[in-house]
Amino acid sequence: MNATPPLLSVQDLSIRMGGTKTNLVDGLSFDVGIGETVCIVGESGCGKSLTALALMGLLRTPPLHLNGGTALFDGEDLFRLPETQRRQIRGGRMAMIFQEPMSSLNPALRIGEQIAESVRRHQGASREAARTRALEMLERVRIPAAEKRLDEFPHQLSGGMRQRAMIAMAMANDPSVLIADEPTTALDVTIQAQILDLMRALQSETGAALILITHDLGVVAEMADKVVVMYAGRVVEAGPAASVFHDPQHPYTIGLMSSMPSLGARSEKLVTIPGVVPSPLAMPEGCRFQSRCPFAEPGCAMRPVFTEIAPDHGVACLRAPLEGTLDPGLRETGT
Amino acid sequence: MLAFLGRRVLIAIPTIILISIFVFGMQKLLPGDPVLAMAGEERDPEVLEYLREKYRLNDPIPVQYLNWIGNALRGDLGISLRTNQPVLELIGQKLPVTIQLAVMALIIAMVIGIPAGVLSAYKKGTWIDWVANTVALSGLSVPNFWLGIMMILLVSVQLGWLPASGYRPLSEDPIQSIKTMLMPAFVLGTAIAATLMRHTRSAMLGVLKSDYVRTARAKGLSERVVLVKHALRNALVPIVTVTTLLFGELLAGAVLTEQIFTIPGFGKLVVDAVFNRDYAVVQGIVLCTGVAFIAMNILADAAYRVLNPRMKDQ
Repeated sequence: MNATPPLLSVQDLSIRMGGTKTNLVDGLSFDVGIGETVCIVGESGCGKSLTALALMGLLRTPPLHLNGGTALFDGEDLFRLPETQRRQIRGGRMAMIFQEPMSSLNPALRIGEQIAESVRRHQGASREAARTRALEMLERVRIPAAEKRLDEFPHQLSGGMRQRAMIAMAMANDPSVLIADEPTTALDVTIQAQILDLMRALQSETGAALILITHDLGVVAEMADKVVVMYAGRVVEAGPAASVFHDPQHPYTIGLMSSMPSLGARSEKLVTIPGVVPSPLAMPEGCRFQSRCPFAEPGCAMRPVFTEIAPDHGVACLRAPLEGTLDPGLRETGT
Repeated sequence: MLAFLGRRVLIAIPTIILISIFVFGMQKLLPGDPVLAMAGEERDPEVLEYLREKYRLNDPIPVQYLNWIGNALRGDLGISLRTNQPVLELIGQKLPVTIQLAVMALIIAMVIGIPAGVLSAYKKGTWIDWVANTVALSGLSVPNFWLGIMMILLVSVQLGWLPASGYRPLSEDPIQSIKTMLMPAFVLGTAIAATLMRHTRSAMLGVLKSDYVRTARAKGLSERVVLVKHALRNALVPIVTVTTLLFGELLAGAVLTEQIFTIPGFGKLVVDAVFNRDYAVVQGIVLCTGVAFIAMNILADAAYRVLNPRMKDQ
């Protein structure tokens, strides 16, 4: 890793559902540097959002609980801080935006107030100053007629504008880490690009690090410095975006990349990964991808070790590093 | 908002007319002759005929209705067949008493029911939730009259804290008035509080799962702010609906409660009027209650618009 310590370092994060024996998120580790964009990729249900909520300290549904791990943020372990201190960080130095901008905004409160209350909370600003800051933020996220929007309610805004307002709310206290959980999934494609552009612009203005959670590899290619690929609660592959995209090593990553539809002659069927994600109640021993993996072998019954196969690029697979020759083989089984 | 209220009042007019026709019709369908009730032992046909003429009971029914409603619009609800007092005057004397009882009961119900519901939803599945639910169920199951009698025995007779009777109007002696009303309002309020608590709990449970509550927490707001400003505010819409509906129960409950605590309110007036076939009084009371109900509904609609800004644009 770099010589400077990472801004946020997650080690061995595990999340478990009470009463079960399987970790929904199992031994997850990754680092986020200052100003860096880390994308966490994976299918729905792989534990991406749980990870985000755990980092924010928002895992509230009682059966879900942290089952070990550390998250060093500015030298403090988030998971060991008392709730009052976590609240101080939450929405302040570490902020989050969510997938559904409509349901994530309070329908009964004006947009301005929803931004301003966070400013008052974390900066101790007066009502007046917080409102000015809210207006400034709405202008910064390029909401047209920002002054008027301050006093509007969420239902009066379009989907894209709502997500901009969410971003304004999250960035209002200049966080050093912004967690974005599928921020563009609920939006039209044209709006998606605008929102991604906006996030990138704000990031370069403020120097905030971004943890972007998505299942959309297009978004990853667009945004990521680093990629963490998750499958069934575990990291299967992680590394610099360029390296992971050009030389994916884990069979799941390869499958994920080949299932991205592209333009061109539609002679072939879409590539899919056969099978389904195993249920958390019936997780196989060892590698969790083995039931769907075309290269599975008896050794996969042991948990594969996460090994570095290139600088900063690691993979949890017995067969790694894969020889290039395996690639066509996967395509065959995929179609 | 004023235009909206104006529109709602206009829409309420046909409803009030329907209520008045219904009230009037029901009276006519009831068995028994008011003139006989009024005349008492007197059975002289001439006297009965004279009374019928005097109260225009010989006119065709539609004419009687038009007479009645025409007078009602001028503020004349007729004269009590029993006491010979104008009905409006009777209602004017008794209504404030019952309103005081109902409002105090409603305040007690809200002060107990809403926080208990919020807390029990927030602490769902814990002993707090369990205790709140058990108390609420007991509140619903215990009959009003029994609780009333028990409270009189305990609070007035044993402890001597509050008077069991001796109501004074609010305008004459506010402290004594509130003191005598406290127990009846509590008795009346507890049953309502239980219902209110159950509905608040279920509304809050829904809202607490919502994404915007998660957003509020993600801002680092304290749980108190999250609960009251973000969650309860959105849960209030169904709570207001239930409160409006409970208002009817409150009036019905008031009749009984007033009997137990010998409060000279609406309830006693209704019961006496029904037993004595005092048509004019019953009609006047039901009409007033109907109008009060409509007024409550208009207020509730206004409250919805304040609580849920989405309704303003529809």
